[in-house]
Amino acid sequence: MRNRERSPWRQALRQVPLIIFMAGVVGLGANWLRTDSLPLVGEWSVKTGTAGDSLAIPLAEAARLFSEQAALFIDARYEEDYADGHIKGALNLPWDDDVHTVFPEIAGAIPSDRVIITYCDGETCYLSYALAVFLREKGFEKARELVNGWTVWRDAGLPVEEGAAGSP
Amino acid sequence: MKNASAYEKKLDIAGIAYRAARWILGAVFICASIHKILDPAAFARAVYLYQILPDGLVNLTALILPWVELFLGVLLIIGIWMPGAAVLSTLLFMVFMGALSYNLARGLDIGCGCFSTSPAAEAASIRTVVRDGMFLAVSLYLLCATFGAASLRGLRKRGDS
Repeated sequence: MRNRERSPWRQALRQVPLIIFMAGVVGLGANWLRTDSLPLVGEWSVKTGTAGDSLAIPLAEAARLFSEQAALFIDARYEEDYADGHIKGALNLPWDDDVHTVFPEIAGAIPSDRVIITYCDGETCYLSYALAVFLREKGFEKARELVNGWTVWRDAGLPVEEGAAGSP
Repeated sequence: MKNASAYEKKLDIAGIAYRAARWILGAVFICASIHKILDPAAFARAVYLYQILPDGLVNLTALILPWVELFLGVLLIIGIWMPGAAVLSTLLFMVFMGALSYNLARGLDIGCGCFSTSPAAEAASIRTVVRDGMFLAVSLYLLCATFGAASLRGLRKRGDS
């Protein structure tokens, strides 16, 4: 009688790994069944872009769209950074609380099928990603993100300009 | 007789609180898991942006963690495997709190990735840390209640035999 009920700690020690194991089996199984499976080990290094993420646009493609004037570039950094230098012709839409009020003012001028490329600076900069997701949610299905955009663009010697003008 | 009914009433309040804690946490975990399960790529991005895990573990975490949350939520609501569920839930809230506070402290401006994978939905902030702290408190209560009840039962049994 005495040992029939196991100590709760021993139960927990058995149950916790079991829950994680079951989640692992189902999670990996579900991923395997998905048509857009995520690689188990993602290539998250900056230069290759982001894995499993159709949002990211390679630099070469962004540069081609730029030369064909087929894309609208939006700088998601703050105004000071934008004024210090930005991709030539890019608009400035800083990703902050104002974006929800500023965006509707310019949204009407952008056709919803226009390719929009957002960018900020730094491999883990989150502004451009957040902005691209936001734009997609607003119906701009072709919004993309150029990861670490300002740095890779400038380093590639592509056209840039300075000045605060151009803010929407 | 009077004493016995008062005792039962007290037990009942404890029972209601215990059940409420289980259901609240269960609902929290299930709600949190849905978006992540539906869009693992977006969740992987959110995990990556936390800049805590090595790159090689980002996708695995993004694929498995949401299912841990879902299973845990279901176990909590049904009320089985409670020792394991209470321990795991407490551990998870501690890890989440650590990750959120760590990035707040080093000033990383990222999305929470808590209940939605969209960074536009909610940024990691003091508010999200406080919210996590409240869930952690409920989870700690559940842990004490689960283990307290079990050890009480054990003691009573030991006394009987």
